This record gives sequence, C-alpha cells and structure tokens, in this order.
Amino acid sequence: MSGDGIISTTDLNLWYREKHALQSVSMRIPKNKVTALIGPSGCGKSTLLRCFNRLNDLIDHVKITGKITFDDHEIHAPGTDVVLLRKKIGMVFQKPNPFPKSIYENVSYGPRVHGVRDRETLDRIVEESLRHAALWDEVKDRISDSALGLSGGQQQRLCIARTLAVGPEVILMDEPCSALDPIATAKIENLIEKLREEYTVIIVTHNMQQAARVSDYTGFMYLGKLIECGKTVQIFEHPAEELTENYITGRFG
Amino acid sequence: MAEKFHTELKHLRKETVAMAQFGRSMLKDSVDALVRQDEQLAGSVVARKGDIHLREVELEERCYQLIALYQPMAKDMRVIACTLKVITASMRIGRYGKVIANIVREIAVKPHISHTMSIPHMAELVVEMIDDAITAYETDSIELIADFSTRDDTIDALRHSIFREGITHMMEDPRTITRCTHYIMVARYLERCADHACKIAENVQYMDTGERIEIH
Ligand SMILES: Nc1ncnc2c1ncn2[C@@H]1O[C@H](COP(=O)(O)OP(=O)(O)OP(=O)(O)O)[C@@H](O)[C@H]1O
Ligand SMILES: [Mg+2]
Repeated sequence: MSGDGIISTTDLNLWYREKHALQSVSMRIPKNKVTALIGPSGCGKSTLLRCFNRLNDLIDHVKITGKITFDDHEIHAPGTDVVLLRKKIGMVFQKPNPFPKSIYENVSYGPRVHGVRDRETLDRIVEESLRHAALWDEVKDRISDSALGLSGGQQQRLCIARTLAVGPEVILMDEPCSALDPIATAKIENLIEKLREEYTVIIVTHNMQQAARVSDYTGFMYLGKLIECGKTVQIFEHPAEELTENYITGRFG
Repeated sequence: MAEKFHTELKHLRKETVAMAQFGRSMLKDSVDALVRQDEQLAGSVVARKGDIHLREVELEERCYQLIALYQPMAKDMRVIACTLKVITASMRIGRYGKVIANIVREIAVKPHISHTMSIPHMAELVVEMIDDAITAYETDSIELIADFSTRDDTIDALRHSIFREGITHMMEDPRTITRCTHYIMVARYLERCADHACKIAENVQYMDTGERIEIH
C-alpha cells in the first residue's frame, strides 16, 4: 500500500480460547485515507478492528501474538497508556449508543473525562464536534434535549461527534450504517468523505457498494486471514485473488 | 439475488453471441452475394438490418438494467462492459454487410473484373477473425485472439493490394472505374470489420484478465 502507514500489524494472531480468530494478519493502514474491511460474517473483521485500540483486552481468554504499531509505537508495549490510545483511536459501533443524557452532555463527556473543565472550551468543542459530524444545524436549538429523542441516523452522527470531541487521529467504525435507512446512510457516507481530510477512518461494512463508495483501500478477510488488501478501485474492478473475486461477485458458498 | 443475476448474465451473454453471429452472417452473405452476383441473397441481407438493430437496442437495454439493479463488480462488471462493446461491434459489422449488399445490386448487371480480385480471400480471413473473437468472448478463450495483431496486418496488406490492383485496372480502362471503386470500398469495409473484431478481442482480454491492451 502506498502512503504513510499510521497503523500496521505484523503477523498478528488472535485466539478466543481455542478459536484462532486472526491468522497471521499483516497490513498497513494509510494515514488520512478510508480503509474498508469486508468479508463474510465471522471472518474476523470486528476482531481486527478491536485490536487497533486494544478493545479485545476487555474480553476474557484472548491471546494475541504479533505486532501492532500505531504512529510507530508498539501498542502492546509495557507502559502503553491504553486510555490515551483509545482517545487517539476512537470507535463507532453498529448500533448508535448515546448515553441517556442531553446532546451536550454526550459530546462533552469525553473531554470532561480527559480533564477539560472550562465551560467555554467545552462549548466550543461541542459545537465543533457536532459541526464536524454534520449534525450541528439539526440540533443547535435543542442541545440540552435528551439524545434519545434523536432519530437513529442523528444518534449515529452524535456518536461520531462524541468520538471526535476527544481529538482522535483514527476513527474505527464497525458497520456504522447497518441500523440506518438509505438517507441516513448517505449522510454518514458523506461525513466519512469529509472526515478523511483530518482523520484516518477504518470501516467494517457488509455492504460492498458502500465499501466501494466510501473507501480508498479495501481489505478482504476470509476465515481469519487477510486475503487481499489494495486500492479499492483495483479490488472492485479486478481483484488479484480468486477468493476475493468470488466474494464480491456473490459466488460464495 | 446473486444467483438470479448470474443466470441473467449467462443468458445475456448467450444472446449477445447469437447477435454477433447474426452480424457476422450478414457480412459473410453480403460478400458471397457480391462474388456470386446473387441479388436475392443481397436483398435478404438488407432486410436483416431492422432485426439486428432491434437486437442491439434490446441487449443494450438489458446491460443497463443489470447495472442499475445489481451494481456488478469485478468480473461481472467486466463481462457487462465487454458485452456492451461486443453489441456495438456486431451492429457495425452487420451494417457493413448491408452496405456491401447494396453495392451488389448496383454492380450485378455486368461481369466482374479480375474475379473481384482478392476480396473473397480477404473476406474469408476477416470472417475467421470475427468467428474467433466471438468464440473467445463466448468461452473465455483468449488464446484465440493472441495473434490478432498479425492477422490485422495481413488484412491491411490485402486492402492495399486491392487498392493498387484497382488503380491499375482503372488506369487501363476507365469503363471499370465504377466497379473498381466499389471493390476498393468493399475492401475498406472489410478492413473496418477486422478492426471491429480487434475491438472485441481487446475487450475480451479486459473481461478475462482485467488488462487493457491495444491491437494495432
Ligand atoms: N468473545 C468471543 N469469544 C469467542 N469467540 C468469538 C468472540 N468474538 C468473536 N468470536 C469468534 O471469532 C470469529 C470472528 O468474529 P468477528 O466478530 O470478528 O467476525 P466479523 O467478521 O466481525 O463477523 P460479522 O460480520 O458477523 O460481524 C467468529 O468465529 C466469532 O464467532
Ligand atoms: Mg463484526
């Protein structure tokens, strides 16, 4: 892959007890690009995504070997500040999961946890984050209302704003549109296009057209292995591996 | 979904092959009609023009529908892209058949000059190229088109030789000008048809390997 790698894995293996869920995955995530991970259910996409900010640490009986670096630092090195790592590598999940609090509190939560107390600074972060998440205009007059009153698509953009509020470098998205209608999905896709200017985005999606539309690079995974990773146009026009070809043309099974 | 799409794609390809063979027969019959001065056969070629046009419209429409409904990717996308080119090339080949058939009717009254020179041989080679291009498209056999560049050179050389021979006759006897000009035109149409066979070949190469080539 061309471009600067912001995250890379070398011979990464992961086991859930006996289950060898990631098998010798070596890949480089280019900076300020959108990388999509595709592959059939259970192939390890979410597992790989969770490796990048060490979310798998929270799961019992997980064993990891190999190397993952973020900005050239080995993320499993002793003394790594995991809280800081997750601040720099934020995550947006499949189902929007706002806290049952106001819109303002949802977005200001992260910065406050990280020690920002000044009201003006918080106001500014909230507005900027909501603007970045293309939600500001829709919520600016109801910022103190409960986040649960927002539509699903708005809630998902709120979750993105919440992630942006702590100033990440990388945003991980695990099927961020699967619970959304086409219009809300289009808004998230437009947003991803803009986020690319300042952030690195890694998105897992089951929707191949979506991967093709939003990403610069695509990785195809199958049974725990990274089969192929390359420029999105190349993967969708003429993949190198027959497995990839079969998957994206729906000849699988 | 994917299964329905692949079934439809298979049918589309089969009918595109049929259309290509239809265009190829129009060309072949038109040259046969020319050589044998068979006005009836020429008339039947002209009459096929409407049919091939209908097929063109119908098959193209189906390509667009498959794209709109299924957003095909990778080889599926390349098959449809290639199919669209095959449809266009076949239409052109068929249309040249019609143009040649019209010439037959103009020059059938008088005997041929020099047995139409190398036209029958040239036509045979061109039709072989078209056949191989169609088979390559039908069966993914790119080995059939590997030597197209050389074969295309032969066709060009034949066109030049017909041109030179025609000029010679015309200078000797101006009464041959009409017929010789028509022969030269036919050679030009045949050469264009070989180019269309090359276009098909280039697209079959893309369809099968993703690689863009240019056959000169
Ligand atoms: N906590 C866990 N404990 C045990 N096995 C797990 C755990 N999480 C995932 N797995 C297994 O690891 C494999 C990879 O799971 P993962 O969730 O990464 O797949 P995925 O590609 O994200 O699938 P999907 O597209 O369905 O979300 C699967 O076989 C899954 O059953
Ligand atoms: Mg998953």
